[in-house]
Amino acid sequence: MELKTFRGGIHPPYKKEATAGKATVKSSVPGEVVIPVQQHVGAPNTPTVKVGDRVEAGQKIGSSEAFISAPVHSSVSGTVKAIEERPNFTGAPTNSIVITADASQPDKWAEKKDVSGLSPEQIREVAKEAGLVGLGGAAFPTFVKLTPPKDKPIDTVIINGCECEPFLTCDHRLMMERPDDLIAGLKLMMKVVGAQRGIIGVEANKMDAIDLLTSKVSGEPGIEVVALEVKYPEGAEKMLIEAVTGRRVPPQKLPSEVSVLVQNVGTAIALYEAAALGKPVVERVLTVTGPCIKEPKNLVVKVGTPISHVIEQCGGLVGTPVKIIMGGPMTGWAQKDLTASVVKGTSGILALDAATVDMNAEQRCVGCDQCLDACPMFLTPNLIVKSARLGKWEEADKYGARDCFECGACSYVCPSKIPHVAYVRKSKAELAAASEVKGGA
Amino acid sequence: MSANEYLLTAPPHIKREDRISTAMRDVAIALIPVIVMALVFFRLYALVNLVACVIAAVASEWVMRKIMGREPNIGDFSAIVTGLFVALLMPPAVPFWYAMIGTIIAVALVKELMGGLGYNIFNPALFGFVSMLIISRLWALENVTLNLGSLDGVTSATPLTFIKEGVLNGLRPGYWGLFLAHAGGAMAEVSLIAVLIGAAYLMYRGHITWHIPVSIIGTAFILSAILGQNPLYFVMAGGLAFGSFFMATDWVTSPDNRLAQIIYGVIIGILIVVIRVYAAPTGAVAYSILIGNALTPLLNKVVVRKRFGAVKTVPVTESE
Repeated sequence: MELKTFRGGIHPPYKKEATAGKATVKSSVPGEVVIPVQQHVGAPNTPTVKVGDRVEAGQKIGSSEAFISAPVHSSVSGTVKAIEERPNFTGAPTNSIVITADASQPDKWAEKKDVSGLSPEQIREVAKEAGLVGLGGAAFPTFVKLTPPKDKPIDTVIINGCECEPFLTCDHRLMMERPDDLIAGLKLMMKVVGAQRGIIGVEANKMDAIDLLTSKVSGEPGIEVVALEVKYPEGAEKMLIEAVTGRRVPPQKLPSEVSVLVQNVGTAIALYEAAALGKPVVERVLTVTGPCIKEPKNLVVKVGTPISHVIEQCGGLVGTPVKIIMGGPMTGWAQKDLTASVVKGTSGILALDAATVDMNAEQRCVGCDQCLDACPMFLTPNLIVKSARLGKWEEADKYGARDCFECGACSYVCPSKIPHVAYVRKSKAELAAASEVKGGA
Repeated sequence: MSANEYLLTAPPHIKREDRISTAMRDVAIALIPVIVMALVFFRLYALVNLVACVIAAVASEWVMRKIMGREPNIGDFSAIVTGLFVALLMPPAVPFWYAMIGTIIAVALVKELMGGLGYNIFNPALFGFVSMLIISRLWALENVTLNLGSLDGVTSATPLTFIKEGVLNGLRPGYWGLFLAHAGGAMAEVSLIAVLIGAAYLMYRGHITWHIPVSIIGTAFILSAILGQNPLYFVMAGGLAFGSFFMATDWVTSPDNRLAQIIYGVIIGILIVVIRVYAAPTGAVAYSILIGNALTPLLNKVVVRKRFGAVKTVPVTESE
C-alpha cells in the first residue's frame, strides 16, 4: 500500500504496545471533581452555579457570551463544594468548580435518537451546547470550526486518526470500538459544512483500524480511509492536510483557506453522542501508560477527575517516576504533582522514568542542521533559539517563531538537547507583547 | 502521593539518544580509512604526528577550559577530532612539534578562546593548519626549509604543482594513483577512495549531506574545465575531496539551510579554482573554505528557507 505523508518529521519510538490492544474500561467516579471553567482556546466562562447548589451530571455550570468559547458541564451529580482558583494542568491558577459527587451516579444518555433530520444549524447548536472542543489536545471550540467564513467553502472533512504521539492509544481504541459512531459523526460534520468528501486519515501502525474502517465505509459515498506513513507529527493539522489532499495551508492561515476542515476521532464521536444522546462533553477516553504505571490502560474518565485518582485506577505508580505528563510525550505538560484534573483535551497521562525522559543538560548549538530537516514547517529552529537568546524577537520571527506549532521534532533530534519549544514560546510571548504595544500606541 | 514533586521541564519530554559526542565519534570513525592509508604509506612519521596532535589538542582544551572556568569536555571527542584533522592536513615529514603548534592554535585560540565548540567562526583545524603554512613561509626566509604544505599543497612534486605548471605528463600520478593511493601532499591526500569511504559513512549516519561537497566539487569541475584545465584531474588531485567532504561540511562553520549550503559550496568551489590557477596551489582549498566560513553568518542571515505553505498556494477548488 502506498502511504501518504509530508516532508520532514521524525521517527521516535512509539511504545504503544502496552495499551494498543486493551479495550477501554470505565474509571470509577472520584469523590470529588475539580472542573476548570476554562478548558478551551478562547474566552473564559463564568460559573452559572453557586456554592451549595445541587448539580446533575451534564448540567451546564459555566458559560460565556463570546463567540470563541465552549461551555463546561458538571461531569457528576452532586453538590458544589467550592468555586475557587486551582492550578490547572499547566500550573496556572484557574477558576474551578469543585463538586462533591453523589455516592451513586445515574446512568444517563442511554436513549439514542435519529440524527438524520438535523439541519446544519441544529448540528452547530448541538456542538456549541455540548461544550465540544477539539479532543485531540488542542481544545479549540468545535462549533467555531464548524462555522467557516462564508467566502471559504469547505469541500473536504478530514478525521484525524493519526495519533502520532508516542504512547497514546485512545484514538486507536475509539476507532476499533466505535467505528459506526465515528462515521456518523463525520457525516454530521460533512453536512454542517456542506462537504462532499470525508477522509479518515490513519497511520499505518494501526492496520487493524484501517481495515475495520475501510470495510465500514465501503457503502458510504464520498467517504474513504487513507493510510498514512508512521511519522511524527503526521497528525498535525497542516501536515495531515498536505498528506491527504496535497494542499498546503499558507503560513498563519487556517485549514479553511484550502477548503478543508480537520477534526479528531474523539471529537467526531463526541459530536455524534451530543446529537444522538444529548450528551455534553463530561467524560473522555485517555491512555494511562508509561514505564511507571503498574497496569497501563485506556480509561474512560470523567472531566475533573484528579490525576491521582486516574493513576490509582491503573494500579498506582511503580518504579521511580521522574516526570508525570498530561498529554503525549512530545507536546504534553509536565506535572509538578498529581493534583491537576483531567480536562476535555487530556489525551493521556504518562508516568516516565529517568531512562525514558531526556535528562541531559542543554549544550551549545553546533549547527548540525538536524532541526531544520526535522521541522515540518521548514523553519530554522536553531536560529530562532540563537536570536531568542539575544532577545532579538523580530529576528526569531524571521526564522519562523510565529509559524511554529511546537511539535518538538527539533528538540527531539537535537544532539545538544536544546529545548527549542521553550524559546519559541518565549519569542511568541514577546512578539505578542510588542505588537500590542504598537497597536495601542 | 500528591506530595511528590516531579520534573517540570518543557516538552518534548523524550529525545533521541544521539549527542554531540556520538557525532564526533562518528567523524573519528569516518577518518579511519584515511588514517590507515597514511599509516601504511608514512608509517612512523604519520603515527608520531597523529599521536602528538591528539595529545596537544586534548591537553590544550583541558588547560584552556580550566583557565576559563569551564567544565572539562574531553568526553565530547571534539578535541580528539580536531587533533586528528590538524595532523592529517599536514604532510608527514613535518616535525611533530610543528604540527603540535598548529593544533594548539586550533584548539586553544580558534575554538576555546572563541567560546568553545559552537561559538567558533572558523574551522579550528583548518585555521591551525593555515597559520602554520604562513608561519612556515616566514620561517623559511630565516633558515630551514620546512616542507610544510598540504591541504592542497606541498613543496615537492605533487599533482597540484603539475596543474599550476600546466604539465600533465611525466611524473605526475595517474588517475588510478590519485584514486587508490599515492605518496605526496598531506596525509589526508594519499587516497581518494579512503576519503570517499569515510564520507559515505558520514552520509549514512546522517551527519553530512551532499549539498556542500557536491556544490564545491561540481563548481570546481565546471569552472576548471572552462579555464582549460583537465577537470577530472583537477577535482581528484590534492585536498579538494577531503576538504569538501570533511572540512567544509563542519557543522559549526557551515550555513544552516540547504540553499545557503549550496551557495556556500559554489563560492568555495570558485575560490579554489581561482586560487589554484592564478595564485598559489598550496593551501587553495584551506584558504577557500576559511573564506567560506567567514561568509557563513551572512549566508544564514540573508538566505532564509521558504516556510511550509509559502512555497506554493494551491488554488481552492469549488466543491464538485
